[in-house]
Amino acid sequence: MDTLTHILNGFAVCLQPVNLWYTFLGVFMGTIIGVLPGIGPSAGIALLIPVTFGMDPTPALIMMAGIYYGTKYGGSTTAILIRTPGEAASVMTTIDGYEMARKGRAGAALAVSAIGSFIAGTIGVVALTLFAVPLTSMALKFGPAEYFTLMLFAMTAVASLSGKSPAKGMLSTILGLMIATIGIDLQSGQARFTMDVPEFQDGVGFIVVVVGLFAVAEVFRGMENLYKGTAPQMIRISGKLWLTKEEWRRSVGPIWRGGIIGFVIGVLPGAGGTIASILSYTTEKRLSKHPEEFGKGAIEGVAGPESANNSDTAGAMVPLLTLGVPGGGATAVMLGAFIMYGIQPGPLLFQSRPDLVWGLVDSMYIGNIMLLILNLPLIGLFVRLLYIPSGILYPLIVAISVIGTYAINGSMLDLYLILLFGVVGYIFDKVDIPVAPLVLSLVLGGIMEQSFRQAMTISSGSPAVFVGSGITVTLVVLSVISIALPFILPRLKALKSSSDNED
Amino acid sequence: MMADRVIFVCTLVLAAVYFYATAQIPSLEIGDPLGPKAFPRLLGIGLLITAGMLFMEMRRARKTEMPRSEHAQPGDRRHFAIVAAAVVWTGLYFAVFEWLGYAIATAVYLFALTACFNRGKWTANALTSVLFSFISYFMFTRLLDVTLARGILPF
Repeated sequence: MDTLTHILNGFAVCLQPVNLWYTFLGVFMGTIIGVLPGIGPSAGIALLIPVTFGMDPTPALIMMAGIYYGTKYGGSTTAILIRTPGEAASVMTTIDGYEMARKGRAGAALAVSAIGSFIAGTIGVVALTLFAVPLTSMALKFGPAEYFTLMLFAMTAVASLSGKSPAKGMLSTILGLMIATIGIDLQSGQARFTMDVPEFQDGVGFIVVVVGLFAVAEVFRGMENLYKGTAPQMIRISGKLWLTKEEWRRSVGPIWRGGIIGFVIGVLPGAGGTIASILSYTTEKRLSKHPEEFGKGAIEGVAGPESANNSDTAGAMVPLLTLGVPGGGATAVMLGAFIMYGIQPGPLLFQSRPDLVWGLVDSMYIGNIMLLILNLPLIGLFVRLLYIPSGILYPLIVAISVIGTYAINGSMLDLYLILLFGVVGYIFDKVDIPVAPLVLSLVLGGIMEQSFRQAMTISSGSPAVFVGSGITVTLVVLSVISIALPFILPRLKALKSSSDNED
Repeated sequence: MMADRVIFVCTLVLAAVYFYATAQIPSLEIGDPLGPKAFPRLLGIGLLITAGMLFMEMRRARKTEMPRSEHAQPGDRRHFAIVAAAVVWTGLYFAVFEWLGYAIATAVYLFALTACFNRGKWTANALTSVLFSFISYFMFTRLLDVTLARGILPF
């Protein structure tokens, strides 16, 4: 019953006027960030950290979570009206959502994505509430070796799933870990890889890296596209913002299934919202009695993926809150925010700060209600944002990035670093190196090294400690599989097809 | 593909540089059996494994893919020049940032970029650049207590 009290107390926390206000601010900004191209949840949260620094952590983290799940609502609007995902996970919505809009059903497409997002988002938060406690009791048994192997698994899964090439994902992961080793070593006090730059003694801040890779790089890409003249045409909203009975009947199943798929994918490390929405889309197409309608404006193709990418955010909060190990780029930035406030998420946090944890989780119920209101009756307001010319928007994003970066500690070096990482992000995109693994490993790098060294100290230098318990063995095996599978799978297929041919 | 070959070579070079830099870290190793070098060494090995994976992927790609014509399209070089110009302009903006101050430097920076990417709309561009720079300057420095470079401005 103790947990139930904590959950109810969480509502008392998140219903305080100040927290309600920050929930609203978060989901409002999230919707804007989702609608606008060029800036996503990772950069949005990172830019807010310096500005909110003096604040009480509870409202600040509530606001950042609001941005995270709010962007998924906003992302669908752009996908439906201009066939550009405002946010990576909305990519499947561009297929049938835009076709619906062309047929004059933009209102219905927007309505089903808002309603689906709301239902699935709420399913996700309920599941988060239910799963959090059993998982924390398991996590309490984790020692340094278990944590090290868990982080190893999270990183290898993200590396092999987030791009086209697992090797390039690994490269990105290791680059992030290497950047994390820059600075004073916490255990020996020894400066490492600082290249005699005094500012590097504190390490390279993850905010700087995230802003460079996710905001500045996106601006350079956007400018290039502007010059190419590939700016898309916008379709005006036509028809009522509601569904016909037939459309509703067709959407209920996909919303439920999408909600469950999204949550499960969200809990697992690596996959994330984009894969959740792709899975939901293919599931709906397979189950449909008229699969030929997909790609021509099938409402199931909007309802499923949009629901999946929303419950995914709730699922992704599970490993972040219960284990303190995020499974993707945006939650890694959230972890960075927690750490900046001196809070380490994980099983102990549920005991030491139940007000914060449950206030945050419960605020997601309320945030989803706010988002439904913002994205149905008030959607017209946000659609106006799409009229801002990109030629003005992109330069402004750089200026906002400058404010957020310079605010950290007034360092010019940080500004040059966002430019450097902006260029790096632009080049990485051209050569298909994913950047999410780099951010994840940069944020986790310090903790990972600490748990590595603690584990080795406990075992007095024997690496056998990393295969010393059932949990570590399982995690090591999973890590090896997630890296090796993409290499083995094609061979197995080739073997199978050649033996089939011989038959 | 050419790009993949470059990535492969860069990975090997980086691994070598990182191993060298790791060896340069002085370590006393008192009370800490591993010292500050162990984890970086592990990362260096990880990078070598990654290079091996890259090599395998390249070999597989050569087997499965027919030699595609990956020649740069005629417009590509000009697009690249646009991005390069934006990068240089941003660098210049940072170079004068503390001297001119946030508000003035940002206004000039924004005006030039909007003039380039939102052509012909001079009034809108000028208004956006100046208003955004000064309003954000006052909002952040006065209301939110965020430090932004003051520069040559008297306030």
